[in-house]
Amino acid sequence: MRAFITASGQCLPGSPVGNAAMADHIGRLSERCEREGRLALRQNGIRSRHYAMDANGRTDWTVARLAAGAVADILDRAEIDRSRIGYLATATTQNDIMVPGLASLVHGESGLPPLEVSSHQSVCASSMMALKGAALQISAGEHRAALAVGAEFASRYFRPGHYAETDTLSADGTLPRDAAFLRWTLSDGAAGVLVEDRPAGRGLSLAIDWISLRSFADRFAPCMTGGAMAGADGTLTPWSHADTIGDAARRGAFQLRQDMDALHRMLPVWLGELMRLVDEGRVAVDEVDWFLCHFSAKSLREEMVRLATRAGCMIPEERWFTNLYEKGNVGAASPFLLIDDLLRSGRLRAGQRILCAVPESGQCIMAYALMTVVEGPQ
Amino acid sequence: MSDGRSLHVEAAQRGLARVWIDFESALATVPVIARLLGGRLRIEDYRSLLFNLRQQVVEGGRWISRAASNLSHEELRSLFIRHAAAEHRDYRLLEDNYVAAGGDRDVIRSGAKNIGSEALSAFMFHAASRAEPVGMLGAMFVIEGLGNRLAGPWAAAIRDQLGLGEDAVSFLAYHGENDADHLAMFDDALALAVTDEAVAVDVVRHAKVVARLYRLQLEELDNV
Repeated sequence: MRAFITASGQCLPGSPVGNAAMADHIGRLSERCEREGRLALRQNGIRSRHYAMDANGRTDWTVARLAAGAVADILDRAEIDRSRIGYLATATTQNDIMVPGLASLVHGESGLPPLEVSSHQSVCASSMMALKGAALQISAGEHRAALAVGAEFASRYFRPGHYAETDTLSADGTLPRDAAFLRWTLSDGAAGVLVEDRPAGRGLSLAIDWISLRSFADRFAPCMTGGAMAGADGTLTPWSHADTIGDAARRGAFQLRQDMDALHRMLPVWLGELMRLVDEGRVAVDEVDWFLCHFSAKSLREEMVRLATRAGCMIPEERWFTNLYEKGNVGAASPFLLIDDLLRSGRLRAGQRILCAVPESGQCIMAYALMTVVEGPQ
Repeated sequence: MSDGRSLHVEAAQRGLARVWIDFESALATVPVIARLLGGRLRIEDYRSLLFNLRQQVVEGGRWISRAASNLSHEELRSLFIRHAAAEHRDYRLLEDNYVAAGGDRDVIRSGAKNIGSEALSAFMFHAASRAEPVGMLGAMFVIEGLGNRLAGPWAAAIRDQLGLGEDAVSFLAYHGENDADHLAMFDDALALAVTDEAVAVDVVRHAKVVARLYRLQLEELDNV
């Protein structure tokens, strides 16, 4: 594959919000709920994040505007003009509106010229779908400059009004664990990269060596869901099958949920993919200088270290790069946020290898990407 | 940094993990498992599953102890013997579950192996009968992995779908709870056994064969 990340950028709304101020933005449901929140924060280890929702539950942001903000930031640092972009791939968990696709909305907000678009909707791994699409478009010679952008605005689903009069919220004001964890874990923002057919003339670029993405939905039921009504036996019914929209809402169809136990069952499969890449000679653990792993909880990271060590796939922790604890879990924007922060850190050197790992719990996807830091024309 | 020997152990662990991933993927397509995962299991399905498993599980203690008798490595032999002792009466739980699920104890006790169980069992005894059968660790990995990773969720799903009590799913539930210890023991055994690349390859190969034959056993329910 011949494709290079030549610029990156991000758009995080407002100032960082510490744990104590979170409830000002997502609202307060009950005392007990806040106690559960403190528990979730111990699990995920996040200390601050950004919210597009202000303290009064109002916002001027949308996912499309956040993504357009990231596009502007990327182009501010690119060596090419926006008129040269031929392809725009977007990634998100939930678009602002159901129709049309996010790429169209972002195109409309970003001042880009007529171009090819591609809307990727999944969870965190949608970022890698967008990046792979962009890299292949460039590599195939279809376009010379492409943007891949991930954006999320999860906090709007966490306001008290989204739980009121639904079966999700119990009489004592608490949420089930599968709905509570995400409320205290996900936050807002956008980030992305510019992919070109050559490295930037100045500074560092990332040559994309390969991107591998595989779904394991053949063996996992949906485990992070939104828009479904769960029956007593766990079967999911689409929200649109309810007799009335009000009925769907009352039955909790619009809450985002995460089955936490399923995460631990997925972990061996996610790591199995790394083992496959090691056995196929595509990853040499000793040659990875930076490991960018998007993980949703500190507790998962610890389990991952144990399994990887046993199979000789452990990348020493001093080579891990994360911004989860300061910038939060921003879903499909997170992998791009990691790349952008690493590129800006001043710690990269030409020749270094970066391995990105993006697991998605939705219905189990695992993506890995290998990149090499390059400097100047190749 | 790993030394040469632990590199082989790590390669075996990777190979086994990958065999497991393919196995779990393929299992989901076996009709009875697909019905279980899809919430469409019938009580006859469950009884048939217990009936068919019992005919192979009853031999578990025997092939593990036969393998033990062919091992000259004392510590490994000791691990195999302890494992055989822990497993060799498991089939009784299966029989109790069968009765609790409405089956007749005499019927399950007088049953024959299905053609898949026959192949699985034949391979186990064949492999266990060879000198220094350390490759059997791969077979144990698959069987213990089933217990550790799948038996617990299966037990819960069967109980819920069929409205059965704990006394009807205790075989699966027991393995769901206890095979984590067995897998920890397995890691120790693997570290002792895998001394070179050939052993690592052999262990992974045994796992591959057993994974396929175990699936065959589930595909051939009641085909005797």
